Amino acid sequence: MIDYAFLQSLDFSVAWTYLPVLLGGLLINVLLTAIGFLCGGIVVGTTLALANLSSHRIIRWPALAFVEFWRSTPLLVQAIWVHFAVPGLTGIATSPFQSASIALIFNVAAYCSEIIRGGILGVGKGQFEAARALGMRPYATWRKVILPQAIRLMLPPLVGTIISIFKATTILSILAIDDLLRTASRLSTFTFQPVEIYTTAAMLAFVVGAVISTAGYYAERALKRGTAHGL
Amino acid sequence: MDFELVLRNSDALFDGVKVTLAIALVGAIIGIVFGSAICALRIGRLRLLRGMARGYILFFRITPEVILIFWAYYCIPLIFDASVSGFWAGSVVLGLIAAAYLAEIFRAGIEAVPKGQREAAESLGLRAFPKWTLVILPQALRLVIAPLVNYFSEFLKNTTLLSAIGVMDLSLQAYLLGGKTYQYISFLSAIAIIYFALIFPVTLYARRLEHRLGDRNALPRVAKASFFSRLKLPRGAA
Repeated sequence: MIDYAFLQSLDFSVAWTYLPVLLGGLLINVLLTAIGFLCGGIVVGTTLALANLSSHRIIRWPALAFVEFWRSTPLLVQAIWVHFAVPGLTGIATSPFQSASIALIFNVAAYCSEIIRGGILGVGKGQFEAARALGMRPYATWRKVILPQAIRLMLPPLVGTIISIFKATTILSILAIDDLLRTASRLSTFTFQPVEIYTTAAMLAFVVGAVISTAGYYAERALKRGTAHGL
Repeated sequence: MDFELVLRNSDALFDGVKVTLAIALVGAIIGIVFGSAICALRIGRLRLLRGMARGYILFFRITPEVILIFWAYYCIPLIFDASVSGFWAGSVVLGLIAAAYLAEIFRAGIEAVPKGQREAAESLGLRAFPKWTLVILPQALRLVIAPLVNYFSEFLKNTTLLSAIGVMDLSLQAYLLGGKTYQYISFLSAIAIIYFALIFPVTLYARRLEHRLGDRNALPRVAKASFFSRLKLPRGAA
């Protein structure tokens, strides 16, 4: 069973020595998380959500297909596909980091667009009708009536996605990005001490994940507090 | 896209599909068995076990899956002085991760059964066993099925992560074939379609179940909402 002699021979000083390298890798994960959430979740996600809510079929159906396709395929396959297909189709050679960002952005956007769409739909139809009855123009309706309510509905689940984006970024290391996982696997072949290195990497990832999700939990609670009972 | 080339290699791709489904099966069994056990501990009376279950759920929901898979693949053989294949190390880890999510889904289902049902069972003099098997669990199960199927569609996507430790699943087969023939786009597009064909029906089925069985207000958010929002911390865990 458990090899106690081996456990006693573990020497975590190697992890301490290479901690800066591992933290550098972790920073890449955090950076990708930020790119995924801000560019993918907010910018592309909102665009997709609006396209999905469009009254024109020519806009709505492709957007729906896009969202369903990106939600129903694994990120790993998407990342490799983007990395090999984008240069083939467009002639622009993308670096691994760029390919990973593109795949992550679209993947996150597909998920977040559903949340954003849900938030907009969650604002009752009566609100649109009331705004119209008051003679508000579309811009004013959205700006003053719909969006303030929709944003309150969608922000808590959007904040909740950040933790899963962070988890997803480690998958992107297969494209040879020097993130936490790849750094760890290179260090472990270099030092021949995989247990120490991988355990430290897992702990680092857990700590960052715990920080993100704790912050998300409090942010969600704070955001929910402002929600009126009628929503 | 070179369809003919893909078709000529369909045997290898089919082997990959079989491995992918095998991972999913092993992981799902472990996930359901362990998930039920952890859920039982999580809602049980013993405070120590409750805390441990909570810690387990927290850890496996927060730590990135690939890192856990790498850890298991490279560290378990050393620590336990045994050889472990990538397939088993990876599927068991995926199963343990699934257990953490499923425990929360089960808990949400059980807690959504109205309190009056439990009280009614008790006032009829039912003992613990019939109270659970005849009253609470049948009702909870109904509420749990839709999120369970929904999680399974996410779980199918996670099976690809095993290719990172060299398990010959569908994604790795396609990647290797792509490398052999320099037709990455053909093979990767083909498997993207295969994965879509595997996963999308599950998603659709989950949505249908949600409509049919879902008492829309009965389940707390954790279980009802989309995959991403389900990943947030269980209530009170922070």
